[in-house]
Amino acid sequence: MRIEEHRGMELADAAGIRYLTPSNSEFAETTGHLLSVWTKGEVHSPVYVHCSFPHTNQRSFLSIRTADNKEIGLIRYLDDFPQSTASIIERQLKIRYFTPEITKVIAVSEEFGYSYWEVETTAGRCRFTVRNGSGSVKFAAENRLLIIDVDGNRFVIPHVDQLSDKEYRMIETRL
Amino acid sequence: MAGLFTFSQKRKGKIMTLLPKDIVSILDQNGIKAADLLHGMECDRLPDGGFSESYLVLSRKHLHIFCGSGVTKEKTFSGYAAGRRKAAGKPEQEGSGDWAWERIPLERLEALTIVNLVASGMVVAKEKEERVIGAFTNGHMNQAVRFAQAFDKLKNNEPFEAFEIDGKSDGASCPTCGLMYPEEGRPFCPKCMKRHAVFARLLSFAGKYRLSIFFIVLFMLLNSATGLVIPYFQGTVLFDQALAGNGAFAGRIGLVIVIILAFRTLSLLFGILFGTIIAKLAAKVAFDLKAAVFTSLQRLSLDFFMRRQTGQLMTRVNNDAQELQYFFVDGLSYFIVNAMNIIGIIAVLLWMDWRLTLICLLPMPLVFWLVRTAFPKLWRLSWRRHRKVSALNSIISDSVRGSRVVKAFGKEQVEIGRFQQANDAFSGAEQRFNKWSGTVFPILNFLTQAGGILIWAFGGWYVMQGRMSFGSVLTFVNYMMMLYGPIQFMNNIIGWWSNCMAAAQRIFEIQDAVPSVAERPGAVSLVTMKGDIEIDNVSFGYEPNKPILKQVSLRARPGQMIGVVGHSGAGKSTLVNLVSRLYDVTAGEIRIDGVNVKELSVASLRRHIGIVSQDIYVFTGTIAENIAYADPDCQMEDILHAAKIANAHDFIQKLPDGYDTEIGSGGYSLSGGEKQRLSIARAVLHNPKVLILDEATASLDTETELQIQEALDSLVKGRTTIAIAHRLSTLRQADYLVVMDKGAVVEAGTHDQLMAREGIYRELVRKHDEALKMKGEIIA
Repeated sequence: MRIEEHRGMELADAAGIRYLTPSNSEFAETTGHLLSVWTKGEVHSPVYVHCSFPHTNQRSFLSIRTADNKEIGLIRYLDDFPQSTASIIERQLKIRYFTPEITKVIAVSEEFGYSYWEVETTAGRCRFTVRNGSGSVKFAAENRLLIIDVDGNRFVIPHVDQLSDKEYRMIETRL
Repeated sequence: MAGLFTFSQKRKGKIMTLLPKDIVSILDQNGIKAADLLHGMECDRLPDGGFSESYLVLSRKHLHIFCGSGVTKEKTFSGYAAGRRKAAGKPEQEGSGDWAWERIPLERLEALTIVNLVASGMVVAKEKEERVIGAFTNGHMNQAVRFAQAFDKLKNNEPFEAFEIDGKSDGASCPTCGLMYPEEGRPFCPKCMKRHAVFARLLSFAGKYRLSIFFIVLFMLLNSATGLVIPYFQGTVLFDQALAGNGAFAGRIGLVIVIILAFRTLSLLFGILFGTIIAKLAAKVAFDLKAAVFTSLQRLSLDFFMRRQTGQLMTRVNNDAQELQYFFVDGLSYFIVNAMNIIGIIAVLLWMDWRLTLICLLPMPLVFWLVRTAFPKLWRLSWRRHRKVSALNSIISDSVRGSRVVKAFGKEQVEIGRFQQANDAFSGAEQRFNKWSGTVFPILNFLTQAGGILIWAFGGWYVMQGRMSFGSVLTFVNYMMMLYGPIQFMNNIIGWWSNCMAAAQRIFEIQDAVPSVAERPGAVSLVTMKGDIEIDNVSFGYEPNKPILKQVSLRARPGQMIGVVGHSGAGKSTLVNLVSRLYDVTAGEIRIDGVNVKELSVASLRRHIGIVSQDIYVFTGTIAENIAYADPDCQMEDILHAAKIANAHDFIQKLPDGYDTEIGSGGYSLSGGEKQRLSIARAVLHNPKVLILDEATASLDTETELQIQEALDSLVKGRTTIAIAHRLSTLRQADYLVVMDKGAVVEAGTHDQLMAREGIYRELVRKHDEALKMKGEIIA
């Protein structure tokens, strides 16, 4: 998705999106481990960080929103911010997008329209149930497989091509 | 306050089951008794990632926070079958036993809110400042919402509902094994509902057709019995007796041929007989099944249909019924016959010569080994091919249906590229599958035929030694060949069996589903209705922590017209769905003529409440049938009158087929305004006491709207009407207006009262007038 500079500017003007930069905003973590932002002479607390592209780019276009879902502004690139600020925001992202990454598929079995998964994840070993069909197992981005269980809990296989043949065979028929 | 603690005894036991023993003893040591605990919830994740165990507990004076010190290394989510590995229960915790305990006096807490995160949630407490006191995965959302509600009520000194262990509330787990159902609200336990149970249930369904099935099996058996005789005559009798000049048939070739022909004819006759019975039964079974599923579907509440895609439901009614039809008609009878054939043929073979029989079975282990190793791979390849072809099809359908967009953006080349890529992938998958199946099947064929070759080799040897006649060998080989068909059938039966059981289970699921909005036993039936509607403090949400309506109250007296205005998504349509009880309220009450709608019979609700909505469905049939939908037995003139009142009469008269015009799928297509007028005519004929107008004119242009407005004006006379509208002009006749925003009533009063107040309504009117002015300018 290439956007030429001048067109990008025109669109930005029309959209009226406010970009938050290190020069016009200041982020801080509250004592209650939530995020607050100071911008345009106002402090908003708490605010929450929403990823525009949670699967393909977690460090760009982060929307800073209040609990009422009002957008305070958009961070274009997280890396524009100093490390200390970036890590506060990263922590908030972790809170919001809690998705254990599957490191190893141990067993997947199927019965009566449900599949039962046992996997090793970055958050420990997990066992969960997935409803067949209905898009519960889908590619969220190329090579990135998103699995949603019956309660809506999310798990992700970040690099499907790095699975062993055996693991791939187990998940293939669930796709 | 008295009501507040009434449940404490009940609550005590339940909260104790939620909390680990260590926490209970910590509380106990500090003088906090079980009876003091009012509500609790489990938090199972750490804000930073990873699972852990912590608990929030409400007592009369405090909010207690217990944090486990360790990180949970193993977690079993709900629905994971208990017997699969370990019981789906408490997670194992490293270093459990150490609990960090904090208690916050309730008076210091201003609010407790549940923040929805992606696939999880967190509890934020507000003292001077907000702070996160716990985070949990999606499965605990219900519990969290109840916990926060309990907190609010405790703060406001209101009574609240008794504590329930999350997910273990009524109907959420299997009564036999205690396993949580994989899906909430779907009483289906994969562990207990085994295939044999489904099978038994199916068989009981088959009871209706037992006579037909009996005859099918009988004729099939006769068909194969007569068929079984033929190899004997073709081999032993023809070669060893007739041609060799021995025994009863010596030299009587003509007779032997006639006998063979006779048996063939008999076999054919029986074949035709069971074929015709099957054809009849197939149609009957399919009809009965579809009728059964359709009837069960109609019984269910609206949310069942909203949760599932229409396509999926249609597939269920059609495909699953088809699948089961195979079961009753082909599967069951062929299974019996083939099983008998296999047993019979093997018995004959063993009787003829057990050594030869064993020899012909020699390659079997190899065949089984090949089938077991190669078939799963083949199946995977076929699945892959299926996926690729689906991808290809969706691209084709995309670019054909979206051809206007493709052309408008000049993206033909991109589409060609996208198609090529998918086509390549499909072609690759297809080639791999074909290569494999092209290798596996000939080998299998060879192996199975190797049995035959072995028989010829050993049989030939026997013949030369004089231990067996040539005719017997021929008979033997013929019988062996007859064995392949039934064995192949048995080989495929596994796949067929599981498809069939899955279909049966889905159909039974629909039959077993309990309508979420069910009529109470002894429900009140109102013969006449005055139309006095009271909406009292109603809250409603489709999902926990996502309330659509928050404590909405309003009153419509008999004959009044109440207008409901607000932005889209304010909860207006939801409100009227609750009045007609398409859904049940989460909290609060809706009363009609002083009776809670939950106490009213569904029939009397439907009889007295009519809805005209933006979303109009035209059934396949004539215009007259569509208007008379509520009362098909009405007089012709009633239909005409209703159409006249609805301003539909004139356009119908213009149609060449008048009221007999076929509409709906495949018929004459009506414009939006015409359809809307039909639906108004439908409501006029229904003649309800309470009328709900849900954005009835939203999708129409101004002129059509005016015509329809006239129709509506005559419709609302003498009825209690709740009208929802974007366009405020529609509501000019309303006696009372209610302004909704984000699920709550923010303003209420007459038009003049609301205009006098400088609020949302005034702003809406201003915007509306401006829009009209702009439109006027554009038209001018």
